[in-house]
Amino acid sequence: MFCKLALRNVRRSVRDYTLYFLTLMFGVCVFYVFNSLENQWVMEALAANGRNVNYTGVILRLVDVISVFVVVVLACLILYANHFMLRRRKKELGTYLLLGMTQRNVSIILFLETLCIGLLALAAGLLMGFLAAQLLSAFTASLFQVVVEEFSFVFSWKGVGKTVLYFAIMFLLVMLFNAVTVSRKKLIDLLRAQRENQQLRLRSVTASAVMLIVGVVLLAVAYAMLLRRGLLRVDELFWVMLAMGTVGTLLFFRSLSGFLLKLCKGNRRFYYRGLNCFVLRQFNASINTNYLSMTVVCLLLLLAIGVTACSVGVNLTVEGKADRQAPVDMTLFVEMDDFTAEDMAQCMKDAGFDLDTCLEEYVIVQRPVLRIEGETKEKWGTMFLYTISLSDFNELLALQGEAPMTLAPERYGLAVGTEPEEYMDQQKDGWKEGKTLEVGGQVLRADPEFCHTGALYTTSSSISTVFVLPDDVMESIQPEEISIMDLFLAGNYPKGAEDETEDRLWDSYFDFQDKLTEKGSGYSMSFSTKQTEYMEAMGTKLLVLFLGLYLGIIFLVTSAAVLALQQLSQAADNLQRYQVLSRLGVEENMRDRSVYTQIFLAFFLPLSLAIVHSIVGIKAANEVIQQLGKLDAVSSTVTTAVIILLVYGAYFGATCAGARRMVRGK
Amino acid sequence: MEPILTVSHLQKYYGSRGSVTRAIDDLSLSVEQGEFVGIMGASGSGKTTLLNCIATIDRPTAGTITVGGDTITTLRPAALSRFRREKLGFIFQDCNLLDTLTAFENIALALSIQKRPPHEIEQKVRESARLLEIEDCLHKYPYQMSGGQCQRTAAARAIITDPALVLADEPTGALDSKAARLLLDRFEALNHARQTTILMVTHDAFTASYCHRILFIKDGRAFTELVRGESSRKAFFNRIIEVVTLLGGDSGDVL
Repeated sequence: MFCKLALRNVRRSVRDYTLYFLTLMFGVCVFYVFNSLENQWVMEALAANGRNVNYTGVILRLVDVISVFVVVVLACLILYANHFMLRRRKKELGTYLLLGMTQRNVSIILFLETLCIGLLALAAGLLMGFLAAQLLSAFTASLFQVVVEEFSFVFSWKGVGKTVLYFAIMFLLVMLFNAVTVSRKKLIDLLRAQRENQQLRLRSVTASAVMLIVGVVLLAVAYAMLLRRGLLRVDELFWVMLAMGTVGTLLFFRSLSGFLLKLCKGNRRFYYRGLNCFVLRQFNASINTNYLSMTVVCLLLLLAIGVTACSVGVNLTVEGKADRQAPVDMTLFVEMDDFTAEDMAQCMKDAGFDLDTCLEEYVIVQRPVLRIEGETKEKWGTMFLYTISLSDFNELLALQGEAPMTLAPERYGLAVGTEPEEYMDQQKDGWKEGKTLEVGGQVLRADPEFCHTGALYTTSSSISTVFVLPDDVMESIQPEEISIMDLFLAGNYPKGAEDETEDRLWDSYFDFQDKLTEKGSGYSMSFSTKQTEYMEAMGTKLLVLFLGLYLGIIFLVTSAAVLALQQLSQAADNLQRYQVLSRLGVEENMRDRSVYTQIFLAFFLPLSLAIVHSIVGIKAANEVIQQLGKLDAVSSTVTTAVIILLVYGAYFGATCAGARRMVRGK
Repeated sequence: MEPILTVSHLQKYYGSRGSVTRAIDDLSLSVEQGEFVGIMGASGSGKTTLLNCIATIDRPTAGTITVGGDTITTLRPAALSRFRREKLGFIFQDCNLLDTLTAFENIALALSIQKRPPHEIEQKVRESARLLEIEDCLHKYPYQMSGGQCQRTAAARAIITDPALVLADEPTGALDSKAARLLLDRFEALNHARQTTILMVTHDAFTASYCHRILFIKDGRAFTELVRGESSRKAFFNRIIEVVTLLGGDSGDVL
């Protein structure tokens, strides 16, 4: 009996709140997709490349952390929706009690309903997620240009387990909440709920004008602070700024409708035309109870827009960076005492990688690191001077296909390091000022013509600024002055055999390590290749894109669902008002228009303010992203706008259709 | 003179094959311009169904209804809205004011949906508010007003468009006797001063005693008709009570 009743109730609420259930399903789906990443074939393919680039690990760890956050957001949505539906069903629950059901029985019915809805959403969401995960895999594979050898459908038990666990907790919370609500309500309150709902709280117009001004001022101050201070200075003022922004948004929404009403009332021709006065009054009445959720929605939208825009922006930035960081196909770096170029070639040959046959062209260069002290150290703001001889430097340039540079006698040149040193570099400043350099017993002056920018070799870490010294000066440096001797092998692969050479290089990795160990214990070495650099850049790209989309979509969908739920239930509340209008002779399409206008205001006011917020926010964020490189603002903004308008627009359309159906009583 | 409302051979059946409820069964009536007509009957006698059919809220199964020359039973939905907007005024038991609007705006709404210019709206609202003695609560919201004031506001809204016919469904049903008397006095004044034609459904004999003519309905059929004529309201009231007693005759027979 209870089961039957519960099932019927579920059917009805699914019909009335289709949008919410779709959102719930979508939430489960997205959650599963990202939590099953680990088991997706493409991730396995990427993780198994064996070239000590472990970006999948970072993605997975971050997904784990962020999932908790997502769960909190989704739990809030579910609780809110449940609270909403329960409020609308008070009379029904009251009737159950009136008919002699015990509160326990009513709780059982609600429990069964929640169970049903939970199971439905989970099952459908997991199925959707399973399909969506395959799509995501295919998309990732295409990003990485991974050759799909075996396309297999993967069902991630870990993803399923995690999804089920988290959502089970959420639904348990809902059940608990329901039980408490039912047990604490008096019968009379439940039966009279309908009347209570219609109570109105109206506020004076002057008060709202004052509130609006205060809100706008608070927002302006918060904006100014954000733009002045930047995004990343997290101190007390940062929290003050956040609080001001939030309170400003709250006041703005709380007072806006009153202000609008006042404004429109001034124009009688507009106010007394058609249903304008009705729509404005409705909006005013609803916002007095909705301003809180509108604020939350606005902030969620801000997060969605901000996260999506920034992730798309970073994504494009990273892509551009990958090329600049890898001027040659491969670089082998060894730092070891008394290790010569011949030793390196020999070790590689022994490890199975003959430099002469395997590589098209290569150079082995030395980069002695000089330790400086006292005055010199103060002068250059560093303890270590990286140096390279002119001929070695030119050989590196030749490898990149660039013309050699010349250095005037008794001068030194500069090869500026890569980011972030590109932007603030004391050595570069010193060179610009024409500071002299004492090295190997000689005093060298700066060559104002000689300043090279751009990476000299391929590496995943940044390259320090190097002083280019004339060959004779370099030879005159005493071994005692050199604290570390770095040895670089930079080479290019033969055309057409890049992939094989790359594989052979990595195959020799461990053997080479063994050979080095035979020679001595104190060493450090690393392999970097253009391909791994590229993969790593793509990994960062993927990481940012995945997390951005994951969070952005969840925020966006949640806020749109909250609005849809609210508007639909308001449409149901307004049914009686629309009946009155109908009896007064208001035509159907005129009524529809007034419904749409109200929904439009509810959807697009928070969006507009969120857009203003995010323009300011993204401006501040740009300065952070710019440290990674230049942000392509236009295309990232357009992409974000398209995604958001599509999703949000779909919710808006569906809400309009649902509300229309409700008001027309069909 | 052509009657303002003619209902002829009206039938309204509910339900489908097997279980048909005849809410109205072959009912005819007509109302002249400027009349104040009451419809009485027990619960379930079909009086609200009749009103709904005239109000074009419900469609009759058979028969025709003509208001001011328009046969409304054949009108299309869009034309029905227009008809309601221009020819009818409504007053309901639970006054049906929009609670988000002030009294002024509630009354004005009936004109603003006809796209009348604002200065005309303002003038007309004040005029009808004066007629119904609610001038001092025009700026109030429905929840700030008493039930009687609400109902008179609804009446003002109903008459502001100068409708051919005002329909009132149990207008005093939710009012205390003092407020009811005040409202009915206003109805009488309206009927007198503006020649407003009023058709009122009620089951309260006192309320009905304000009418010129009362039509009694029983089980969907016309039962009898009382005309007040020149008699005093008290005398009319007593005659109404007699008929009401007769109407409840079924249970009386048992005793």
